[in-house]
Amino acid sequence: MSELLERLSMLVEVGKINKVTPYPPEMKDMDGASEITQQALERGIDPQIILNDGLMPGMSRIGEKFARGEAFIPNMLISAKAMNAAMDHLKPFFDGGEMPSKGTLIIGTVKGDLHDIGKNLVKMIMEGDGWSVIDLGTDVGGDKFVKSVNEHKEAIIGISALLTTTMLNMEEVITKLRENNSSTKIFVGGAAVSKSFSEKIGADGYFRDPYSFAQSFN
Amino acid sequence: MSKVYYQRDKNFEPDFEQFLRVLRRDIPHRPTLFEFAMNDRILGKLSGEKNENKSSRLAPFRRLIKAFTNAGYDYTTISAWRTNTLDFPKGNMAEKESRSLNAGSMITDWESFEKYPWPDARAGDYELYNDLGKLLPDGMKLIASGNGGLLENVIDLAGFENISLMYMLDETLTTNIFNFVGERLLKFYEIVASIDTVGACIVNDDWGFKNQTMFPPEMLRRWVFPWHKKIVEVIHRAGKPAILHSCGQVKDVMKDVIVDMKYDGKHSFEDLIIPVEEAYDLWGKRIAIIGGIDMDFLARMPVKDIQRRSLAMLRKQLSRGGYLLGSGNSIPDYIPDENYFAMISAVKNI
Repeated sequence: MSELLERLSMLVEVGKINKVTPYPPEMKDMDGASEITQQALERGIDPQIILNDGLMPGMSRIGEKFARGEAFIPNMLISAKAMNAAMDHLKPFFDGGEMPSKGTLIIGTVKGDLHDIGKNLVKMIMEGDGWSVIDLGTDVGGDKFVKSVNEHKEAIIGISALLTTTMLNMEEVITKLRENNSSTKIFVGGAAVSKSFSEKIGADGYFRDPYSFAQSFN
Repeated sequence: MSKVYYQRDKNFEPDFEQFLRVLRRDIPHRPTLFEFAMNDRILGKLSGEKNENKSSRLAPFRRLIKAFTNAGYDYTTISAWRTNTLDFPKGNMAEKESRSLNAGSMITDWESFEKYPWPDARAGDYELYNDLGKLLPDGMKLIASGNGGLLENVIDLAGFENISLMYMLDETLTTNIFNFVGERLLKFYEIVASIDTVGACIVNDDWGFKNQTMFPPEMLRRWVFPWHKKIVEVIHRAGKPAILHSCGQVKDVMKDVIVDMKYDGKHSFEDLIIPVEEAYDLWGKRIAIIGGIDMDFLARMPVKDIQRRSLAMLRKQLSRGGYLLGSGNSIPDYIPDENYFAMISAVKNI
């Protein structure tokens, strides 16, 4: 069993989606994450174990490599695609087709900023680590964050900004959120953001990469 | 006509040879400036003409050239978006203070690739570059740049996340998209570099994020860099220097830029990635280092700190040259005007 799950982890890490996808070239015509997940289910392995011990470690390893500069964004994207292909087999086994969740993250790029790649990476890594992610998209103001947190009281919030000009809008969002729900944990990130800036605007934390953000909850 | 807010020197005479000396990594006879692009407000203050005159084909450029001359540049930079020479049609992209690299993609598969209205790189008004010679003061040349670079245009056409997956899952389509864009950019540079009024070319193509290149170096070496090498070759064949403007962390591919592509100058530096002072020490003996006074520094620091850093950078290059003073990227409207003037006025104080 562990050999199959270890293989599944490796397939997610390298981004081998299924048998017909040509990437990685050295694994051409070999089974991918989709087929191996199906095989694991046929052998009677618990879907929760497949998720926890097969898929999530693979996604975690590619996130860790990315944090160390040993992997690139395309590697993360293809790994997420492999994980999603595997999840399609698992979803029917969970209540209502919903995956079990560690918690809910509400995420969005701050008002004025339309950059979404960093935000999407955080979403991928957090989902891969077992979180439910509500993606509010880009150019998100305080009111939209407040509305979402009122609908998901236990959620934590992640705000992203790429530019030195738009990161200033984060403070306004945090002020609005604090006025409405002071207990909500708010985290910030993005190319221009720093730890000192996050402290200055009253955020609960800053993470320089998605992997360290996910790991901080484990 | 309104007030001119800044002039390098009333008797300033542009001398493109000073710029060429720097690109050869020599010491210029006087400190030399560089700017890729400036916001409209600052162009108004430098030229003394608040608004662009659009009454004729050449009229808007009169103000631009006047602004560059008064500021003390030996050239005027001119992008293809101003000359209507080569533009790849894009899908709808919402723009605020930024825009998404995933927005507006028009090529997502073979069908959309085949339907895409590929522009004819030869169809533009290249005669305009010649005609602009009538407006240039003696000693000044144009520096021509494209309307985005190879990777930038491919990302705009396909979307960042789409192309990220596409190069792994459909190499043939990826190769076709890069080739179709590359052939057109190559033709653009071949034409503009051959025009007498154009003294140099900027190849503008962002490759990096804060921590690393957007794509693995081996992907860039397969699809992006061979076209840059060809573009530099056609610019050099015309006897002109080629400058790479590329933002983000590119240290892992700087050897490719210098040794393989053979760029003469590198523009765009950020303090969070590598301060220009360090870049000059690290690469300055092999490639001219251009600009680099960090954008955030320019936007936030007091005038005296900007003057001090700009002056220090000019002093640093006195012994071996190969440096042009300017911003890390460009002068957008959030840079206070007095901060920009503080930077360029360093040439008066050395």
